[in-house]
Amino acid sequence: MKKLNRILPGALLGLAATLSLGTTQAQDVFKIGYIYPSPAADVGWAHELDEGRRAVEEHFGDKVESVIVENIPDGPDAARIMNQMAAQGVDMMMLGSFGYMNDGLKTAKRYPDIDFIHASGYKTADNFGNFLTRNHESAYVAGMAAGYVTETGNIGMVASYAIPEVIGIINAFTLGAQSNNPDISVSIVWLNSWFDPSKAQESARSLIAQQSDVIFSIYQDTPSVVTVAEEEGVYVVNTSSDMKPYAPTHLLASMKVSWGDYFIEQVQASMDDSFTGGSFWGGMADNAVSVESISEDLSAEQRASLDETIKAISSGEFNPFTGPIIDQDGEELLAEGETLSDADLLSISWLVQGIETRLPK
Amino acid sequence: MLDSLVFLIAGTLAAATPLLFAALGETVVEKAGVLNLSIEGMMAVGAATAFTVATLTGSHVSGFAIAALASALLSTVFAILVLFFLANHVAAGLAVGILGLGLSALIGKNHEGQTISPLSDLDMGWLSELPLLGKILFSHDPMLYLGIVMIFLVWWLLSHSKLGLIIRAVGESPDAASAIGYPVILIRFLAILFGGAMAGIGGAYLVLSYTPLWAEGLVAGRGWIVVALVVFGMWRPLRIALGAYLFGAVSLLELFIQGMGFSIPSQLMSAMPYIVTIVILVIMSRNPRLIQLNHPASLGQSWHRNA
Repeated sequence: MKKLNRILPGALLGLAATLSLGTTQAQDVFKIGYIYPSPAADVGWAHELDEGRRAVEEHFGDKVESVIVENIPDGPDAARIMNQMAAQGVDMMMLGSFGYMNDGLKTAKRYPDIDFIHASGYKTADNFGNFLTRNHESAYVAGMAAGYVTETGNIGMVASYAIPEVIGIINAFTLGAQSNNPDISVSIVWLNSWFDPSKAQESARSLIAQQSDVIFSIYQDTPSVVTVAEEEGVYVVNTSSDMKPYAPTHLLASMKVSWGDYFIEQVQASMDDSFTGGSFWGGMADNAVSVESISEDLSAEQRASLDETIKAISSGEFNPFTGPIIDQDGEELLAEGETLSDADLLSISWLVQGIETRLPK
Repeated sequence: MLDSLVFLIAGTLAAATPLLFAALGETVVEKAGVLNLSIEGMMAVGAATAFTVATLTGSHVSGFAIAALASALLSTVFAILVLFFLANHVAAGLAVGILGLGLSALIGKNHEGQTISPLSDLDMGWLSELPLLGKILFSHDPMLYLGIVMIFLVWWLLSHSKLGLIIRAVGESPDAASAIGYPVILIRFLAILFGGAMAGIGGAYLVLSYTPLWAEGLVAGRGWIVVALVVFGMWRPLRIALGAYLFGAVSLLELFIQGMGFSIPSQLMSAMPYIVTIVILVIMSRNPRLIQLNHPASLGQSWHRNA
């Protein structure tokens, strides 16, 4: 007991010292915690989030300090990391996975002084905002390129799960291809797995064996599908990152996402105490999505029509989901000139005509 | 049509090879009476090591060799736990497997998401140029053929050699084997090392030939299929090989059928390889006498000299 008495004040003193140290630091620099669901590799989802972090550091310089934790699965581990970061005195947290939503929201309620931004969720609070990208915009443009280069008229797609975001991308890509090549048919292989590069590669090979000469790799975090396309000599489009180095001759286009501008804006808002949460659904107009590394194999006119469409989408003149849109069963879902609302797009559960594969139900 | 046939058959051979190596290794381990469930982790360590070594040295051969060593090293941890500390086989296997998955992430950390040029195919002269057959059978990488050779080697070893007889004796009745002077612990130890090395080679094949890239979690459950293959294949190498090829074929057929646009729910299709392989192997081995004959009697039981 005597011993404990001697240790306890010491420990308390130490604790107080760290606490005060934490607060003084927080006044000097703005501390931001980043949590990624996978390792920040050379390409892929976590890589792009990390690029956003880099943009923030470049913009604010010494005024910000980053705490990065990567490869955190959804669930209790994520909650633990969040609490740990809060205890470390971060001023803001960036949560990089859909599955962090509920734990993140709980943490946000417990620490009202910390502002949170969360990837791809749907719940918000005053200090908890979420962010998504309008990948269907870049998908439409990449689809146009696919329509131009295909000779067999068949596009093969490798997709993980049939969630609304993926379905939206598939439809927009198909509509883009059909805009200049109405006879396009599309085959999809659903992997039913978030992560299995071997299976993704075999799927691409199987689609190529069945005459697909453009392959669309949807949300594959690794260059698995892209390298197969290069090896087999067919065109390929991918999402998230620019994968030109993995398919120097056969990359048709990469649908890149960029979080820099949004992160910087939110950090600034949080520094100024004007952070309000809310939802951000960034498209081409916000520099959040773009089409990169468009293949040189497209002719000048084809390239010009792509650029024109990019301009029209960025300015809001053109919506990729403009009627007439007919679904797989031949039913007209949007009449001539009608456009799909954001709410409908967020819960989309149909595929357009020309896609041969059904939704897994 | 021909393209599809080449894809299906050649693809099956490649898809089955990683499973084959690991399953043949595990067969020897289980025949010696040890149940090692850490295959998933050992394959992952083999894959990460192979990729790292091959990237740094540019040599696929050293990639395979060091992968085999690394996984064998991990399996010694398991061996020490179950042979000397008499730990429960299942618990120790699971623990070492999880350890392996973590280690693989650490080893491959600097190469996450990178690609590598795959192991080059063997050129067999005029054989490789045969129409159709050349592409299906005679233009694969050397490790795929080594996998096929291993089937027969392990089969011969277990059922026709003296060493095989000793291994089986140790797996059936370690007490009897020990009583007539065989070093049970040493034999089990070596069997576990062999199983580890084979799992490592299987993992290495995954990243150096089948899917030439490294990403954490790339083994994606294949180690567990291996465990099932060995049990449902009745510890007989030829049946296990059949199971591995069957699994490879059905998993490719699944992707192929999806691409053709049949309206079968894709979730059911994704489960097909597991269902078909297990059902066929179970039907083939439902004879109770066959089970009695092949099941190593002391499988998974801890043993020490004075028991």
